[in-house]
Amino acid sequence: MELKFLVVDDSVTMRRIVINSLKNLGYNNYVEAADGADALSKLNADSSINFVITDWNMPVMSGLELTKSIRTAPNLEKLPILMVTTRGVKEDIVEALQARVNNYVIKPFTPQILKEKIESILATN
Amino acid sequence: MQKISGNMSEIFSKLNDLKNVFKFGEKIVPIIQSLIEFMKEIVPLIESINTSISESTAQMPKASNQINNVTTQTEMATTEILDIVDNITNQIMEIENIFNSFTDKQSRNDEIKSIILEKYGNDEFLIGLLKEYLSNNDYHAAFDKIREILSHTNNDIFQITLSLQVQDITTQQLAAVNHLIDSVNTKLTSLIKEIDQSDIREDMKTISIEAPVGANFDPNAKYDRSESRQQNVDEIVAQQKQQASQAEIDKLFS
Repeated sequence: MELKFLVVDDSVTMRRIVINSLKNLGYNNYVEAADGADALSKLNADSSINFVITDWNMPVMSGLELTKSIRTAPNLEKLPILMVTTRGVKEDIVEALQARVNNYVIKPFTPQILKEKIESILATN
Repeated sequence: MQKISGNMSEIFSKLNDLKNVFKFGEKIVPIIQSLIEFMKEIVPLIESINTSISESTAQMPKASNQINNVTTQTEMATTEILDIVDNITNQIMEIENIFNSFTDKQSRNDEIKSIILEKYGNDEFLIGLLKEYLSNNDYHAAFDKIREILSHTNNDIFQITLSLQVQDITTQQLAAVNHLIDSVNTKLTSLIKEIDQSDIREDMKTISIEAPVGANFDPNAKYDRSESRQQNVDEIVAQQKQQASQAEIDKLFS
């Protein structure tokens, strides 16, 4: 099954960097969203999206809220979610995990870390 | 007679109370006088603080806008860099494709060489020319070296892309500073309003601290249970604290 990523970040720069990293890793199928609400509407419109990479701090709807919404949506609840954020405090990480993100990457990241986390999520899913 | 005696003793008791009140007044008046002196001296200071806070507060929206401009311009510059990086990456891919097509032709040259050797292997002159020709046109090693350099260049360019994550992180840090400025701005604006609306300056004008000659009390002293004085003191204390915060914020822009 081909992976189709949804890259969610309010920073255009970060979206491009994540997408360039995905391309570098051989993943060329992706869509973008500027915030959690935008991401939800894209998820509802496109059922072929099967992996979410999201930032935490975003306007309108945060990555944490997006995660909680995905986990309570009947058709999306098992969607793999990778949180990529600057928030490195232990409490934040625990909170994200409690919201059931599949893994957590701190910015700035390297493609190698991104690859490891994606593969780790895919292996356990 | 007993009734008169009782009344007299009550009068003496009240007089004694009055005497105690005056004694207390004598002790308290210098303190009140000092307090009024202090308040009078503090008013110009309050004016000065108020002006300083007003000026600083007026600058805050400008500082906040400047930070927003920096964020926008940095994002634009980063996008331009990413565009250029993407262009370079695409150009490298084009160069690699061109080299790959040459590599395919080199393989075909090897095939042609085998065919000619098989068919005209006895013609030493022809074979010599062919070998010289092929040797002069053998770019395998050069192409491999160029591919290696291109691969390194591609990696270096990708590292530039990754380094641009700093823009997102800086944006968040600037947003945090902006939030701090906005919060302080809101608080200072409210403080300025409170100072402007208070009666402290007018109160000070009406209070005379000059006691009559020979008197050990203040004829203008009054029993004022309103909370305004304490509020004024509290405001001064708060202002002092705010001043310290302002200094910290100024440091950010120095």
